[in-house]
Amino acid sequence: MPKSKFLPRGRKDRTAVLVDIRPTKSAKACDIFLQVRPGKDFELITILRALIKDQKVSEEAVAETGVSLEQCNDLVDRMKKAKFGCMFFGMGLSMTRGKHMNSAALLTLATEMNAFTKFVAMPMRGHGNVTGADVVMRWQTGYPFGITFNRGYPRYNPGEFSTVDVLVRGDTDAAFIIGADPGATMPQPAIDHLARIPTIVLDPHITHTSKLSRVHITTSVAGISAPGTAYRMDEIPLPLKPALKSPYPTDEEVVRRIKDAIAKKRFWMPEGEQMITAQI
Amino acid sequence: MLRITGGKIFDPANGIDGEVRELCVSDGKFAASVDGGRTIDAAGMIVFPGGVDVHTHVAGGAINFARAMTPEDHRRTQAFIRSQSRRSGLGGMAPTTFATGYLYAGMGWTTVNEAAVPVLSARHTHEELGDIPIVDKATCVLMANNEIVLDLLENGEYERAKNVVAWYIWAAKSYGVKAVNPGGVAAWKWGKDAKQLTSAIEGYSKLTPGDIVTQLAMICDDLGLPHPMHLHCNNLGAPGNISTTLDTLQHLEGHRAHIAHSQYHAYGGDDWDEMRSETVQLAEYFNTHPNITTDAGAVLFGDTVTITADGPWQHLLYKLTGRKWGNLDIENETGCGIVPYTYRPSNLVNAIQWAVGLELLLLIKNPWQVFLSTDHPNGGCFWRYPEIIQLLMCADFRNECLTKLPDKIKGRITLPELDREYTLYEIATAMSAGPARALGLHQKGNLGVGCDADIVIYEEDDDVARMFSHPRYVIKGGEIVIEDGDIRATPDGQEFIVKPSYDPGTDEFLQPLFEDCYTMAFENYPVEMERMENPDIRDCVPNS
Repeated sequence: MPKSKFLPRGRKDRTAVLVDIRPTKSAKACDIFLQVRPGKDFELITILRALIKDQKVSEEAVAETGVSLEQCNDLVDRMKKAKFGCMFFGMGLSMTRGKHMNSAALLTLATEMNAFTKFVAMPMRGHGNVTGADVVMRWQTGYPFGITFNRGYPRYNPGEFSTVDVLVRGDTDAAFIIGADPGATMPQPAIDHLARIPTIVLDPHITHTSKLSRVHITTSVAGISAPGTAYRMDEIPLPLKPALKSPYPTDEEVVRRIKDAIAKKRFWMPEGEQMITAQI
Repeated sequence: MLRITGGKIFDPANGIDGEVRELCVSDGKFAASVDGGRTIDAAGMIVFPGGVDVHTHVAGGAINFARAMTPEDHRRTQAFIRSQSRRSGLGGMAPTTFATGYLYAGMGWTTVNEAAVPVLSARHTHEELGDIPIVDKATCVLMANNEIVLDLLENGEYERAKNVVAWYIWAAKSYGVKAVNPGGVAAWKWGKDAKQLTSAIEGYSKLTPGDIVTQLAMICDDLGLPHPMHLHCNNLGAPGNISTTLDTLQHLEGHRAHIAHSQYHAYGGDDWDEMRSETVQLAEYFNTHPNITTDAGAVLFGDTVTITADGPWQHLLYKLTGRKWGNLDIENETGCGIVPYTYRPSNLVNAIQWAVGLELLLLIKNPWQVFLSTDHPNGGCFWRYPEIIQLLMCADFRNECLTKLPDKIKGRITLPELDREYTLYEIATAMSAGPARALGLHQKGNLGVGCDADIVIYEEDDDVARMFSHPRYVIKGGEIVIEDGDIRATPDGQEFIVKPSYDPGTDEFLQPLFEDCYTMAFENYPVEMERMENPDIRDCVPNS
C-alpha cells in the first residue's frame, strides 16, 4: 500500500474494517471484522446514519443486524476520527435484497459523513476492464450501460435495454460478444436465445458462450499480447503494454475489419433529420 | 480551394471592421489569391473568424462523471441521429463527445480549450478529445494543488519546481497550466479550504495560496508558455470574495495571467442576504492592468450541471441545494466536485450572478481582455452563447430581462446603469480574436493570409440570437463543415500541445517520489506521444 507524506508507514497508518456475512480471507487482512446478518445491510447502514447524527436507535433494531450497538458506536467513533475515510462496496450490496437501495444508502452515509470529516465511497468493480467500458460508453452516449440505439440515437433504461432483458425478451436477432461469457452467468432463457440467433464471440479462450455461438474468433490477450488501456475502478486509465507476440489478431483489429465490411453494404437507416431538438 | 466573395469581413486581428473583401483559401489556410475551386457568394452576409472558447469543460474524468450523474437530462435534450458519416450523440447540460463537436461547429466555434486536466487522467482526456470532431483543441493541466510541486515551493526550490511543472506539462501532453483554488483543493483532502491568500495551507507550515499564485505565474512566464497561467481564484462563489480576487491579482506581481470565469469572483457583502455586485472594482483593475485577460463565466437562467476541481465549493453547493453531489479526489494532484444546479431569475443570488457576468463584459473596456464564456457547463451550456451575444448587443433586450428580476436586487447591481452595446467588431474580438491571442494561438481568430481558414458566415438578421445560433456556413481548415443548418463534413481536429524544456535530471528526481506516493508506475504515467491524435507541438519562448 503506498506511503504518503501524511501516512509515512503506509498500511500501518491505515485502519481497515471489513463488513461481510462471513469471515472471508479478507477478514484476516483487516483490523476489524463486523459480521452482518445476510440481507441486513440496509438496516445496518441506516443505523450508522442515525448514530453519526447522535440519534437514538432501538437496541432490537441493532440486534437484528448481527452487529452489536457497542461495535456500531466504536465504528462511528473511528469514522469520525479518521482524516480521510473511504468505503468500498461490491455485489454483496448491489445484488442482494434491496439492490440499488443498499448502494444508495451507503452513498448517502458517505455524503453525510462529510459534515464531520472527509469521506468518500467507491464501488469495487468486477470483471476486468468493466470500468473502461462504462467510461467510454458515457463519453460516446452519455450512459454507462443498458443502452439502445434502435432509434438512431442512444437511449437508456436498465431493466429494459440491459443485455439480459433484451435477450430474455428475444428482442435481438444477432449477438456480438466481446470479452465476456454470458453463457456461463446469465439466466437460462437468455442463454437459450443466444443459442437460437447468430452469436459471434471474440475471446482469447473457448468459453461457454463460444460453444453455443455460430462463430468464435480467437483474439490476443490485452495486456499480454495486445496493447490497450484498462481503467482502474477509480477511473484512472492505465496503459497496457504487450510483453509477448500473439499469432491472433487484437479485438480492435477484428472489430475494425467487421466495421469496414459492413460499411460497404447498403446503409440500413433512411436518411432523415440530422437532429431532433427534443426527445419524445 | 475556396473563395468567399461579397461578405462584410470582421477581422479584429487585422483591424478590419465590416469592409466588403474577398477571402481566398488554399490548403486549409488563407491565401492572397486562388485559382479554381468553389466560390461562396456571401453578399449581404457577415464573415467572422471561427469562434475560440478559452475556457470550457468538454472532456475528461469530471465531465464524464457529470454525464453519468444526469441521465434525466440526456433523456429530454436534443439528440443527434447517426448516419453513414456522423456518429449519434446527445446534447444538453453535458453533451457527449461527438455531439460536442457538432454543437460547437454548428454555432461557428472551431477551437476550444479544455481548462482542467489532471495529469493522472490526462490519457483519458485525450481519448475523449480524440472523439470530439471538427474543432481544434488545447488543454490546461492542473498544477496548483499538486503535492510534489507544493512541497518544492514550500521549501523554496523554485528552479526545481519550474522543471517539474515543465515535466508535468509534457507528461500530460498539455498546452498550458491551470491553477484552481491554489492550495484549497489540497486542503480539501483534509475537509478544509484555503480562503486567505496569506495564511499557510492546511498540511503546510508556511506555503500560502498567494505564494503559489506568484510562483506559478512566474514559472509559466519563465517557461515561455504561449498561454499564461490560467487561474481560478480562491474563494469562488462566496459573498465578499472581491477582496480575495483583488488580493490574488496583486500577487501576480506583474506576470501575465488569464483569470477564469471572473463572474464567480466579483461579489461584495458578508453573507448570502447581503451579497452584491463588485464588478466596478474588478473591471477597474482589468482596465488598468493590460497584462491580464479574463473570461466572463456568465450565468444564464436554466438548468445545468456544475463541475469544478474546487471540491470544497461543491460540497458547500451540495449543502445549499440538497441536490446530487459527486466528489472525486485525484491522489496527490487535485480533486473535483459535481452538483446539478438550476439558476432561477427569482433567486436573488442567481439574479446577481446573471448581472455580474454581463457587467464584467460591459465594464471591461477592452474586448481583447474579456472573453465570452459561461465556464461551460457551470454558468450555462456553451450552446447558449448566442443568448449572451444578444444580451451584449441589445440594451433594450437587457432592460426587458432586468424587469423579471426580484425587486430586492435594486442597489446591488450596476447593470441597469449600463447602456453600452457591443458592435459586431467587438463581438468578433470577444468570441474569437481575443481568446485566440490570449491562448497564444496566432493562427486562430485571424483572417490574415497564412492563418488557419476557420470561418463562420452569418446571414444578417435583426434577431441577434437567431443569427448567431444558425450560421449559414461554417468552414474549418478550409473545409465547409456546416451549410444551411446541416453538418456536411466532420474532419478530425488538431490538438495543440507544448514541450517546454526542463532539466534532464527531473526524471531522476521524480521517480523515487512516485514510487513512494503514487499508485501508478512511473513509466506508465506520461501520456505516450503515439496516443495523441493529430498533435501539433507549439513553440515555447522562454525568458532568457
